[in-house]
Amino acid sequence: MDAAMDRIRRVTLVWMITALVLFPAMTLLGYLIRRFQASPTPAAHPEWFYSLLTLHALGMVGTWFVSSMAGVSYLLSRYVRPSPAVSLGAFFGTLAGVVLVCLATVGGFFGAGWYFLFPLPLYPNGAWPAWATALFFGALALLGTSWLVWALDVLRAISQRYSLSAALCLHYLGASTEPEVPPIVLITTVSLIVCISGLVSAVIVLVLFAAHWAGWLNVDALLMKNLTFLFGHTLVNISLYLGLGIVYEVLPGYAGRPWKTNRIVAMAWSSILFLVLFAYFHHLYMDFAQPGWVQTLGQIASYFLSLPAAAVTIFGVLNLIYGASMRWTPASTLFVLGVLGWAIGGVAAVIDATVAVNFVFHNTLWVPAHFHTYFLAGLVFFVLGFIDHLGRELSPGEEPKGLSKFTVALLVVGAYGFVATFYWSGASSVPRRFAAYPDEVMRGAAHARTSLVFIHVFLLGMILYLWMAGRRCVRALFS
Amino acid sequence: MTVQLKALYLFLAIAALLILVFALAALSTTSSIPANASAASRLRKSFAILLGLVLLAALGLTLPNTPYPRQADVPEKVVFVVAKQFAFGLSETPITTEEQWEAVSSSAPLEIPAGALVEFRVTSFDVNHGFGVYTAGGRLLAQTQAMPGYVNRLRLRLDRPGKYPVLCLELCGMQHHEMRGAFVVR
Ligand code: HEM
Ligand SMILES: [Cu+2]
Repeated sequence: MDAAMDRIRRVTLVWMITALVLFPAMTLLGYLIRRFQASPTPAAHPEWFYSLLTLHALGMVGTWFVSSMAGVSYLLSRYVRPSPAVSLGAFFGTLAGVVLVCLATVGGFFGAGWYFLFPLPLYPNGAWPAWATALFFGALALLGTSWLVWALDVLRAISQRYSLSAALCLHYLGASTEPEVPPIVLITTVSLIVCISGLVSAVIVLVLFAAHWAGWLNVDALLMKNLTFLFGHTLVNISLYLGLGIVYEVLPGYAGRPWKTNRIVAMAWSSILFLVLFAYFHHLYMDFAQPGWVQTLGQIASYFLSLPAAAVTIFGVLNLIYGASMRWTPASTLFVLGVLGWAIGGVAAVIDATVAVNFVFHNTLWVPAHFHTYFLAGLVFFVLGFIDHLGRELSPGEEPKGLSKFTVALLVVGAYGFVATFYWSGASSVPRRFAAYPDEVMRGAAHARTSLVFIHVFLLGMILYLWMAGRRCVRALFS
Repeated sequence: MTVQLKALYLFLAIAALLILVFALAALSTTSSIPANASAASRLRKSFAILLGLVLLAALGLTLPNTPYPRQADVPEKVVFVVAKQFAFGLSETPITTEEQWEAVSSSAPLEIPAGALVEFRVTSFDVNHGFGVYTAGGRLLAQTQAMPGYVNRLRLRLDRPGKYPVLCLELCGMQHHEMRGAFVVR
C-alpha cells in the first residue's frame, strides 16, 4: 500500500517539477511575443512571432492541462487508485510531444496558431514547409492519445469504486446522500467526460485534415471550425474545472471546515456537463452563415454557465472562508486569489459572449485579456498553490513569512498589470495576434510596452516562488 | 457611449464588486464566526434567483440586438468582398476569378453612398480571414468572418463620409497583421 502511494507521490512530483520548468519557459516566450507588439516599427521577422505564439499557447494550454490532471489524480488517490504507470506513460508521451511541437515551430516556423484553424496549416504561403505541418499534426496526435489514455484510466479508477450515476452524484438530486461522494470525484468525472468528447473531436479534426490534404475529401470549413472549437473550448474549460477540483479538496483543510457535496453542488455540476458542450458556439458568432438559433443557444448556454459557477463555486468558497479560522499560507492564499481571478476573467468572458458585444470584441485583445485572467490569475494560482501545499506536506521547513507574502504580491501585481494592458487594448479595438500594429491602432504598442514592466514583476515573483516551492519539490523527489 | 466603453465599464464595476466581496470574506477570517449553514443556504438561494433574473434580463436586452441580417430590411447597395492572402478585394460586381480579384484588390478604394444600407457579401478564396471595418481613428465598427465556401452578409449604414480602413481579424499567415483593404463613404 505504502509503496503504491510512494509511486503516486513521485509521479506527481515529476509532473509538478516539469510544470515549474515549462511555465517560466513559456512565460519567456510570452514576453518575447509581447516585445514584438511593443515595437513601433514593422515586424522584421513575423515568422518568429507567429511560430512562438503557436508554441507559447499550445505549451501553456498543455502545461496547465497536465498539471491540473496530475494534481487531481494525486488527490483522488485518497479515494480511488489511478495508475501511476499510465500517468508516467502520459508523461513520456507529453515530453515527446513537446519536443516535436518545438521542432515544428522553432525549427520549422509552423505558425498557424495552437488550434490550427482549417485550412490555414495547408496554406503556409511559403512561411513553413510541409514537414513542419506534418510534424505538428504528429505531435498533436501523440499528445491527444497520451491524454486520452490518461483520462480513461482516471475514469476507470473512479468506476471501480463508484458507478457512473454515483460518480455524477445523481443520487443527491433525489434526497439520498449515500454513498457519500467527495466533490473532487464529481468534478473529475464531469470534467473527464467533457475532456474525452473534446479529444475525440480533436481526433476527427486531424483525420479530416489528413483526408483533405491527401485529396480524398473536400472538407467543409464551417464544420471544421465547429469541431475545432468543440475541442479547443472544452480542453481549456476542463483544465479550469480540474483546477477547481483541487481547490474543493484542499482548501477546506486550511479553513478547518468541510466542503461537502450536496444537492446544489450536484445540480451545478450536472448542469455544467450539459451546458459546456453548447457554450463553444460563442466562438462562431462572427460566422454569420452559422444558423441563427445556434448563435442564440450559444449565448444562452454561455450566460447560464455562470450561474453554477457563481452560486456554487464562488459562493461556496466565500462561505467556506467566511469567519473561519483560516490558516493563510501561500497555498490557501493562492487558492482564494485564484477563484477571484477565475471569477473576474469569467465576467469578462460572459460580456464577450454577448453577440452584440462580440461584434466589436471578437478577435481583439479583449479575448486574450479574459482568458489570461482566468489562466494566469486563476488556474496557474490553483496549481502553484497545490505545489506549495504538496511541497510542505512532503518536505517541511518554513521560510520567512514576509518573503512568501512578497512573492504572492509580486505574482498578483504582475498578472493583473499584464492583463490590464490587454483589456485596455481590447476596449480600444486593438486586434489580437498581430505581430506589429498598423497606424490606426498603434496605441496597442504603447500598451504592450507597459505590459513588459508587469511581466518582469511576474517573473521576479516566479523566481522567488521557484526558490521556495520548487526547491522543496526537488528535495522531496530525491529524498 | 460606444459598445466597447459600456462593456469595459460594466466589467470594471463587477470586477470591483468581486474584489470587495472577496476582501471582506478574507478580512472576516481574523474574527472567528461560527458557520451558519441554514443562513448560508437561504442567502445562496436568493443570490441564485437574483443572478438568474439578471441573466434573463440581460439576454432579453441583448439578444434582439444582433448584427445578423434581417429578412425585412432591403439593402440599398451590395458590395462583394473576397479575402485572400494578404488583401481584401471589394467590388460592385461578383468576384469569381483570381484575375478579377487581382484587379479589384489593387485598384482605388470602392465608394459607397453615405447613409445607405449596404450589404457586404464576404467570402474568401483561401483560408479564414476577418473583415473588420474600422474608422480612420482606429475604432472597430463592425466585423464578420471571411470563410472559404461561405458568404457572410454584413449590413452597415455609415453616415459619416471618409475613408474606412479594413483590417484582417483572423490569423491567416505571416502577413496577417499587414493584410488590409479600404472603402470610401461619400
Ligand atoms: C506572464 C505570462 C504570460 C505572458 C507574458 C503571455 C503573453 C501572451 C501574448 C503576448 C499573447 C499574444 C496576444 C495576442 O496578440 O493575441 C499570448 C497569447 C496566448 N497565451 Fe499567453 N501569456 C502568458 C501566460 C499564459 C498562460 C498562463 C496561458 C495559459 C493557457 C496562456 C495562453 C495563451 C494562449 C492560448 C494564447 C492565444 C494564442 C493565439 O491567439 O493563438 N498564456 N500570450
Ligand atoms: Cu487575413
